[in-house]
Parts: sequence; C-alpha cells; structure tokens
Amino acid sequence: MKLSELRAQLDSKKIGAVELVHRYLDKIQKNDSSIHSYITVCREEAIKNAGKAQSIIDAGKASPLTGIPLSVKDNICTENIRTTCASKMLENFVPDYNATAVRKLIEQNYVLLGKTNMDEFAMGGSSQTSYFGGVRNPYNTDCVAGGSSGGAAASVAADLCAAALGSDTGGSVRQPSAFCGVTGLKPTYGVVSRYGLVAFASSLDQIGIIANSAEDAGYVLNAICGYDSFDSTSSRASIGDVTEKIGADIKGLKIGLPKEFFSDGINAEVKKAVMSAAEFYENVGCKIIETSLPSLEYAVSAYYLISSAEAASNLSRFDGIKYGHRSDEGDSFNDNISHTRREGFGDEVKRRILLGNYALSSGYYDAYYKNAARIRAQIVEEYNDIFSSCDVILTPTAPTTAYKIGFQENDPVKMYLADICTVTVNIAGLPAVSTTCGYDENGMPIGMSLVGKAFDEKTILSVCDRFEQEFEKLEATI
Amino acid sequence: MKYIPVMGLEIHAELSTASKVFCSCANDFGGGENTRVCPRCSGMPGTLPLINQNAYTLAARAGFALDCRVNNYSAFDRKNYFYPDLPKAYQITQFEHPICTDGFVEVCGGRKIRINRIHIEEDAGKLVHDDYEGVSMADYNRCGVPLIEIVSEADFRSVDEVLEYVEQIALRLKYAGVCDAKMEQGSLRVDVNISLMPYGSEIFGTRAEIKNLNSFKSIKRAIEYEIERQTEILESGGKVVQETRHYNDNHGDTKSLRSKEEAHDYRYFPEPDIPPIFMTDEQINAIKADMPEMPHKRLIRYTDKYGLPEDDARLIIADKALSDFYDKAIEVYPNYKAVSNLILVEVLRNLNDSGISAENLQFTPKSFAETVKMSENGVISKNAAKDIVKILFKKDRDPKKIAEENGFLMNNDTGALEAVINSIISQNADIVQSYKNGNNKVFGFLMGQVIQQAGKSANPQLAKDLLTKKIMEQEG
Repeated sequence: MKLSELRAQLDSKKIGAVELVHRYLDKIQKNDSSIHSYITVCREEAIKNAGKAQSIIDAGKASPLTGIPLSVKDNICTENIRTTCASKMLENFVPDYNATAVRKLIEQNYVLLGKTNMDEFAMGGSSQTSYFGGVRNPYNTDCVAGGSSGGAAASVAADLCAAALGSDTGGSVRQPSAFCGVTGLKPTYGVVSRYGLVAFASSLDQIGIIANSAEDAGYVLNAICGYDSFDSTSSRASIGDVTEKIGADIKGLKIGLPKEFFSDGINAEVKKAVMSAAEFYENVGCKIIETSLPSLEYAVSAYYLISSAEAASNLSRFDGIKYGHRSDEGDSFNDNISHTRREGFGDEVKRRILLGNYALSSGYYDAYYKNAARIRAQIVEEYNDIFSSCDVILTPTAPTTAYKIGFQENDPVKMYLADICTVTVNIAGLPAVSTTCGYDENGMPIGMSLVGKAFDEKTILSVCDRFEQEFEKLEATI
Repeated sequence: MKYIPVMGLEIHAELSTASKVFCSCANDFGGGENTRVCPRCSGMPGTLPLINQNAYTLAARAGFALDCRVNNYSAFDRKNYFYPDLPKAYQITQFEHPICTDGFVEVCGGRKIRINRIHIEEDAGKLVHDDYEGVSMADYNRCGVPLIEIVSEADFRSVDEVLEYVEQIALRLKYAGVCDAKMEQGSLRVDVNISLMPYGSEIFGTRAEIKNLNSFKSIKRAIEYEIERQTEILESGGKVVQETRHYNDNHGDTKSLRSKEEAHDYRYFPEPDIPPIFMTDEQINAIKADMPEMPHKRLIRYTDKYGLPEDDARLIIADKALSDFYDKAIEVYPNYKAVSNLILVEVLRNLNDSGISAENLQFTPKSFAETVKMSENGVISKNAAKDIVKILFKKDRDPKKIAEENGFLMNNDTGALEAVINSIISQNADIVQSYKNGNNKVFGFLMGQVIQQAGKSANPQLAKDLLTKKIMEQEG
C-alpha cells in the first residue's frame, strides 16, 4: 500500500495506528529471524507512540507521517535507543540526542519500529560485516541483501515497515534497494541534515530513503529534508515538494546513457534490463542520448581514497574513553586504545582505517588524497557536461544482482569494484533513485538508477514513477 | 665559539568569545570539571561542528592588530592524533588556508619580527592526574575553546626581543578585544623554537621546541637554559637533536618530550564538516574599520603629538582602560602633560591601593579633567587635586563642589594676602634683610610663615609673587 493510501486509511479510521503497528511488529517477530533486517526492535515504544499518534489523528491534526511505522538504519542516532552502527564498538551506545532527520519524523509523530542492520559503520555492500550477523535477501535468503543499508532494504522488501531511513555514502541506499527489489533514493548532498548520522565519510554521506515506490520515497523525503543549522554542510536551497511532478508527462525529457556504465564489467542480464527500461522511456516519448563519463574508470579508486581517509579520521574518536567498547588490556593510554580498537572494530573497518591513514600520511598525501580530490573535481565537471544536454541519467545500480552469501564478501577488491555504478553520484553530490527494472534468471531483482541534477529530486522521482507505474513487480518470497 | 640564538614563536591565544568555537557551550575559565560540555564539543558520534562567527571576526581583528593580511578565503583542516583530552581524536584547525597571513611586529627600537600566519583552531581538554588514586581523568571544559595560533618567522636573536614581542602581542590582542591575555590562566601560551648559530654564520642550527610557556619569567628562563644547554652540546662537539622539550618551572630546566622520530604524523586533510569560509572585501573592511587604535600607534601619538616622555606614555598605554580614560580626559582639558601627571601619580596609586581595575573607575574622565584644570589654573593647589582624586575614587561628584566643601578653593584675595605679608615682613626685618643680602635660603622660611598665617587656601603662587614683590619694594 502506498504511504498516501495508508495515510488516507489512518485518517478515515479504516485502520488504527496501534493496530497497524501491531501488524508490523507481529510480522517482524514472525519473519525477521530469517532475514535479520533489524538489530533492535522498539516494540514497547512503538506501541506507545502509535497510541499517541492515534490521539493526534483523532484530533484531526495528523501530519503526513503521523502513525506511519518506519525503520531507521542503526547508524542514525535515536535518543534513548541504542545506536550500534552494527559494531561491537557501539554495541551498548545509547545516544541522548536525535539525528535531525529523526527529530523531524518525531515532530510528525511517526512510529519507529526499530533500528535496522547494516554493514559495520556502513562500510560494505553486503551487510555481512555486521557484528550482529548478516542480513539475508527477502527474495532468496541464501543471497545477500546488499549494503550497507541491507537491513533497511530488506525490511521494506519483506514488508516489515512502511518505509525506511538508510544512509548512502557510495551507494549504500541504492544498491541494497536494487538487490532487494525496492526503491532507494539518495538525495542531493546537503538536502537532508547529517546531524546525528554517525559519520563514515562526511563529504559523501547522505541520509536516504528506501520505500516501495518513488512516490513513497518522495513522501518521506518531504518530511526529513530542509536546511538545518546543526549541519554546516546542510543546504539552504529548497527542493520544494518533491512529489510534485509525479504523474506529470515526461514526454520530450532527455535521458542520458553514459556508455562507460554499460561496459563488459556489467552483467549481461543487468545491461539488458536497463536497456529495455531505456526503450520503455523512448516509447513514452523521452529522448535517449548516448553520453560519456570518461573518468568513471578512476572513480572507485578516488572514492575509496577519499571515503577511507575521512573514515579513518571520523572513526578515530572511538577510543573507549567516554563511551563504547573499552578493552581491559593495556597499561598505557596508547596501549589501551590499541586493544580497544583491535577488539571493537571488524576487519573491513580496520582495512578502511589503514587505507585512509596510509593515503593521508606525509609523503603519500599528494599521490593519493590530492589526486583523488582532483579526480573528484573532474567527475563533477563531467557530470555538469552531461547535464548541459540531458535532464536525467540512466545507469545500472549495480553490476550484478544479489549474489550468494559468502561469494565475494571476502574479496575486498571485488567488493570495491562492485561500487562502480553508484560512487560517482556521491562524489558529485547528486541525487539518484534506484528502482527495479527486471529480474535475473533466478528471480533476483535488477536495479536501475536515475541520476538527476543537484536539487532536482522532483524530476528523477517523476521519471522513476513513470516506469514503476508500468512495471510489474514480483513480491519477495518471504 | 660564540653563538647567536635564533628563535621563532608560536603563540596560542584564547579568543574572548561568549561561546565555544564549534558549539554553544560557554567559553569560561574555572568551574567544576565537565560542566561546560555538550555532545558537539565532546565529539559524540553523529554530532557536527558549527562555526562561531564571532570567533572568525575576532581572528580577523587579531590579524589587523598585527598588521596581517586578512584573507577572503580560508578553510579548516583536521589534525589527527590520539590523546585522551582530545575526544574526536582530531583537532579542527586551519592548515592550508589560514585566515591571516604576512604580518609583523617591531621590537627593540625597530627590529621587524615577521608573522607568517594566524590561524583559528579549537583547544583540547585537560587531564587531571590523581597520583594518590593513580588515575588520570579527562576534563573537557576547555574542549572547543576558540584559539588563534600566531606563528612568527625565526626572526628573534635575543631574549629581550622575544619578551617585548610577547608583551606587545598580549597588549595588542587586549586592545583589539581579541583575548584577555591572562597568561596565568593559560589564555596566552607560548611555544619557542630555538637553535644556535655561530657568529658570522647565516645557517641556522638544529632547533628544539619548548612547549607551553605561560609566564614571562618562564619564557626568559627556558630560553636562557636552552641557550646554555645547546651551547654546551656544541662546545663539546655534540649535535643538537631536533625534538620537542618541556619546560619545568620548578627546576628551571627543559626535558625532552619527544624526538623528531617520535613526532606525530598529523595526517592533515580538509575538514569536510565545515565548508570553506569566504569573506567579501566589504566584510573584511568593515572589521578593519571597527578596529581601535593599536598601542604602538598610540605611543607615537602620546610622545610625538602630546610630548609625553616615552616612559610615562608606556605606563598609561599598558592599561587600555586607563589609556582610554586619558584620551577622554584630554578631550575635556587638552593639557596633555598635566592630565598624564595626575594619572601617573595619583590614579595609578589609588588603583594599586584599592585593587580595582581601570575599567571599573567610579568617576568620569570629565570630573578628573576638571580637577586637573582647577589645579593648573590655580583654583586649587596640587595637593588639593590629589585629595579630590582620592574622594572621586569613592564616588563620582562635581570636583568643584568637593573643593568648595573641603575648603580646597584657593584664596586669591590679594588685599588680605598683602596684609599678611606686610605683617610678616615687619615681624622678620632681620631675615628679610638677610634675603636681600643674597641669602636665598631664608625665602622658604618667610613663605612658610605667610602660608601659616594666611591659611591652606592661600594661593601659594600668588603668595610667592607678592612676597617677592613686597620685599623688593622695601627700601633698603
């Protein structure tokens, strides 16, 4: 059910908020053990908040998300509810502040069902690096859900929430959405405040939305976007009602297909599905333009240097002094934090910290970080170039569909290269939405991404919705 | 061999903002541990820094105070290192693009000390060591207190130059309202880089850095100790090691903290949480236009324009409130020297005795200027002027009224005075004769007699003039 329909049902009392939350909580209890999309389920708070939401609905004062049950990724701070980042380091960390995005949802009296599972500190594309155990794909529990917002995507796909907040640093909302057959929206950098999102790579991180449709994603984005004085990188530009253009005619719209995104590294089934989506758009009157993003071949390297450098610095604060895991070992401060961090972080996080610190070390900074920053500037230029002749860009969301658990998570280079389709969007700070455009021979969803001009969420959501209107989705088996 | 010390300074000054640099916690000194902390300044996960605009303005003011260029574009970087008093494990600072560059301060009669840069950064917390319990505890109150770091070139060649430079910087920052420069509270701290160079050479030796000197005495002693230490090493054929040293105030010596090999690699990179800051020329000029006169310029005004002796001028200028008071007083009564004298003699003494600061003077510059004016115009005596200042220190009042009530107004009645003088002359005919014969010493005795009879309110100048005249008129 669309969020707008759910809203109508709540407002017309066809369904009660408490009844609705129970429906989800029961389903979580029944099904989540097979996919492990939640780290923490907030059962009591959810029921209490649903009751409160109901009284607001009864008073006729409902906001768009009043009484709507959502899940929130476990790297987004929730006051008095533990926020673990799926790490042993923060296993028992309970923030006493809300992320701005969460605060905005609370102001609308949404209902938080729980905190979703993810790759540790959002580093990964499989949600298998979680300290609490990996997430499984609702379409096939032998397969990964993608990541890092794998729990968020799986929770939406398995109907264990109405929609979800995730975070996207290099594709972490879009790729799991593609793998789980749902819609994932990564807004323009600065559109959603990062305050309270535990930082991975500050210049790339953005809170995003995973939902059943582009329209639903826009519906939630409307609630959480906007300038926030708590985040200096938050944008003052208004994006307006992002669902405004949904249903509008897209005839004449120019859709660019950068040829580098359709190279040999992309699975043939994926390419075919995305090309047939392009055909669909051509058939409804859009103009398909072949275009080019020449620097794509350097994008993954640049992304991993910048994101790891920032991550190494951002994660330095986890020293066990004020909060989080603290080792019993070590006689001196340096010794103790070495043990703390050795015990508290998983392998992938350690790998990124090492990589990042290496890239920032004196003598290597120019060769790595500075060059990566140069490529970043180049990619921004190339996108500007493309957008001078296109309205949106169409690419695959990932080179493959969801793979079997254990297939490639232990091969870091393979894992990193799989981010090729998504990272440039973060590097350039652009908005993008991923939706399902087909299924592979095993019935696993294939995702395509629509990338827009900065702050033009409206257009990509409208173009995405147009496709979703015609596309026949297969429900997840779970 | 003889050596010349070559020194460069890094001065950390706390900015006098109301709140911290990246959050809204109060920027204060003292108080209980961890009473001024919030999720932001204690670096809790997910929190973000917010730049305090006022810190930026004050840093720009520091730039103008030290004749720097204030840059349109500046940006923050992260300096990464682990320490328990640094909760984010990085310090937000300005590495590549500082707010101010290229300034200078003249010391010791015209030697120019170049300032390389001034940048903004956040202070770290403090560790409190409990030796009895054998534990260290972190106090984050100071975390996020805004600092500027003023980095000089290695232009110093003597201790005196260093001391005068620090003195001037402290004073200028106070004048600019940038920093209260209370070294004992740590709001101004000095690091000295020092090496020795043989006379006649132009090649600098290997330097040691002495960290966190917080008094003029310790700066002087640390430098002197370090010169001695390095001289001994060089004399005995050894090599000075590049290292960071800690000065121990109790022992008056310095000890190695860490060598070059142990030095941190700070892994600087642009701070992604704070966009670069762009100030327009208009904004920069507005800050410049708002700058008060700096003490070194004021010194020139006082000596060249007002003719005050340099020592007097320095004494007044050393206290901005007092100097501002002087400036307002001379607007009312532009007798520069007389106003300066009474400030130096009587106001300074009363300030010292009462322990109040010049900012908290109870009386107006106008009352003070009028007191000086009465004294200079012979309406009251010099001593009476001092007495009035004492009374003004308790409460501001019209000095004329004070003079009236206390009988300070001098008697300028020539007739009455003449009568007294005539009587004194006739009573002391011998002494008068002796004076006329050239014994000048007795004049004072005669004057004393006159004042005694005429009363304290008698105008001494008038009495003196009349007495001289009357004696001369005597036939003899």
